[in-house]
Amino acid sequence: MSHSVLIAEDEKNILEALSFILSREGYVVASALDGNTAIEHIRGNQTDLLILDVMLPYKNGFEVLKTVKTDPDLSKVPVIMLTAKGQSQDRKTAEDMGVDAFVTKPFSNKEIIETVKRLLSSKPA
Amino acid sequence: MARAPIGLKIRNRRKEIGLTQANLANRLGISASYLNLIEHDKRAISGRLLKQVSEELDIDMGNLDGAAERRLILDLHELAADGLFSNFNLTQAAASFLVGQHTDWARALVMLYRTYLDQEQTITALSDRLTHDPFLGEAILKVLTNVAAIRSTAEILDSIDDLSEDELGRFHGNLVSESRKLSEVVGSLSTFFDKANAKTRSLTPAEEVDDFIMEKGGYFPRLEDAASSLRRDVQGKGVFSESALVDYLARRHGVTVRLGEGGLRGAGISHNQCVFDPDTRTLEVPAFASATTRMYEMTWLLAELTLAPAIDEEIREADHLSSDPAHHRAARDLMDYLVNSLLLPYDRFLEDALEARYDIDLLVRKYMVGFESVSHRLVTLRKPDSEGIPFALLQINPAGYVIKRFNLPHLPIPRYGSACPLWSIYTCFQTPSQIVRQLAAFPNGDRFLFFARADAREQSKYSQTRVMRSIMLACNALHADKTVYADGLDFSSEALAEPVGLSCRLCSREDCIHREEDAIMGEEHQPLRRV
Repeated sequence: MSHSVLIAEDEKNILEALSFILSREGYVVASALDGNTAIEHIRGNQTDLLILDVMLPYKNGFEVLKTVKTDPDLSKVPVIMLTAKGQSQDRKTAEDMGVDAFVTKPFSNKEIIETVKRLLSSKPA
Repeated sequence: MARAPIGLKIRNRRKEIGLTQANLANRLGISASYLNLIEHDKRAISGRLLKQVSEELDIDMGNLDGAAERRLILDLHELAADGLFSNFNLTQAAASFLVGQHTDWARALVMLYRTYLDQEQTITALSDRLTHDPFLGEAILKVLTNVAAIRSTAEILDSIDDLSEDELGRFHGNLVSESRKLSEVVGSLSTFFDKANAKTRSLTPAEEVDDFIMEKGGYFPRLEDAASSLRRDVQGKGVFSESALVDYLARRHGVTVRLGEGGLRGAGISHNQCVFDPDTRTLEVPAFASATTRMYEMTWLLAELTLAPAIDEEIREADHLSSDPAHHRAARDLMDYLVNSLLLPYDRFLEDALEARYDIDLLVRKYMVGFESVSHRLVTLRKPDSEGIPFALLQINPAGYVIKRFNLPHLPIPRYGSACPLWSIYTCFQTPSQIVRQLAAFPNGDRFLFFARADAREQSKYSQTRVMRSIMLACNALHADKTVYADGLDFSSEALAEPVGLSCRLCSREDCIHREEDAIMGEEHQPLRRV
């Protein structure tokens, strides 16, 4: 069985590209265009990893991260945060909340795939 | 405070008219060696001898009072107090020498420093803008997001050979749409930077206008004459009143004054509660405007319609005003001067001020004007042979921003940064509407009477933010007993005087618990040790 990855990103073209490359790597990919949908999905569906953008409608990336990391049922889900370069305050805030990795925009597909593999390497599918 | 270095001026003028030192000394009834000491600023000159020098050399007394030289020395002191020069041995004596012997070099130095300060402020403002501007922040995020989408999509197209036709079409389409979005954002950024022009000036308009007014000694005889003549026209055989103004505005300027109508509720910051429509020649004077406001604003309109050319003439002849903003600011300040001249006619006001012993509250009630108007007017009582007490004036907002300043020759008010925190101009904010008086003693022994009051501008509604300002007048302690503000104070007691300075950086009081910055300038020949 493959790992399931949720991508929470409101920029459709990024979402499409990431979904495509991760699907090709064998992951089961779901997507959410806003923070509320992301939380609903992760609560109702098996999610092995979350790729989370900072800027999301309704609930932003930090609020989603906090919800995941403070929920005992969800806190073990690794989270990769997509950040803009130079947003050092964002990184500090996310680290304090327990984020597992950062990928800064504009990123390479290779970097995303390697980070996902690294975080899921010890996790059974 | 060092003696005013006017020696070079005397020497240069003497040479200009072809007099030897011996000739001039003979005419003045002093020895040539004494004259030499005067010309090299080793001896002060004042009183009868100064008058004689001005007559023999045909120099206006106003040019020999040393006021301009003192201001220049103070500017050099402030320059020397900047941390930039902390490793330099800059003494007060050297500043005086530079002004006395190389005046143009001193002016050039001060001008360079002002330019540097101006540009430093501009750079700081631009840097803040780049860091904190919400449009820029958002635009950069958009750029990064667009580029992330383009990069990811391009890598897919580049690295994956077995894309279906549909996938190829979709990803190419995504590239096009992301490129378009990126172009729009970059276009907006370009427009933003085009508009963000940073204008720099070597002097701010406020500084230019300050210099202009101080050069004139705060007194404008032609404007006084013009105001006096206009006032006589308006009042005729009666008095200068609201009804006389309404009548005059109608007769001479075709202006209809509508009392109790319209107006700008919520205004009050720049005196404009009344609204003038130049097309219909109508002035709306709202019912909520106080008598003081009505009188002030109608007089302002009268002055604008009648005496604007007199102001233009003053500005045309001014050497200090180099920019349009400086001209506008000077015009506004001179208009304020004219209005005060009309409401508080010189001779009568001086007489009343002397009789009231400069009690501002009393004068406010007598003339039905504001505290600010009376304070400003007191400073302008400088007509030769008919002068009031020489006052300095400082007006600030709670942030310490200097709105108006007028120096006395021996009481320099800092141009850059704030003054000593002990000055009553700051402490009076703690007790608004009350006059706070203070006998201020400076390290060099000079003593001044300060009296200050903080007030909120008229507030028209609850939600309007109150505009607070404080205004301070200061006079030499020698004149203090002519004012009510010295009543009850024993000037012979040293204990009564509050030790103050000019500003922390320029103050030699090492033991002051209020010190916030290291001092740089010290006594006559010694810079202070840095703490």
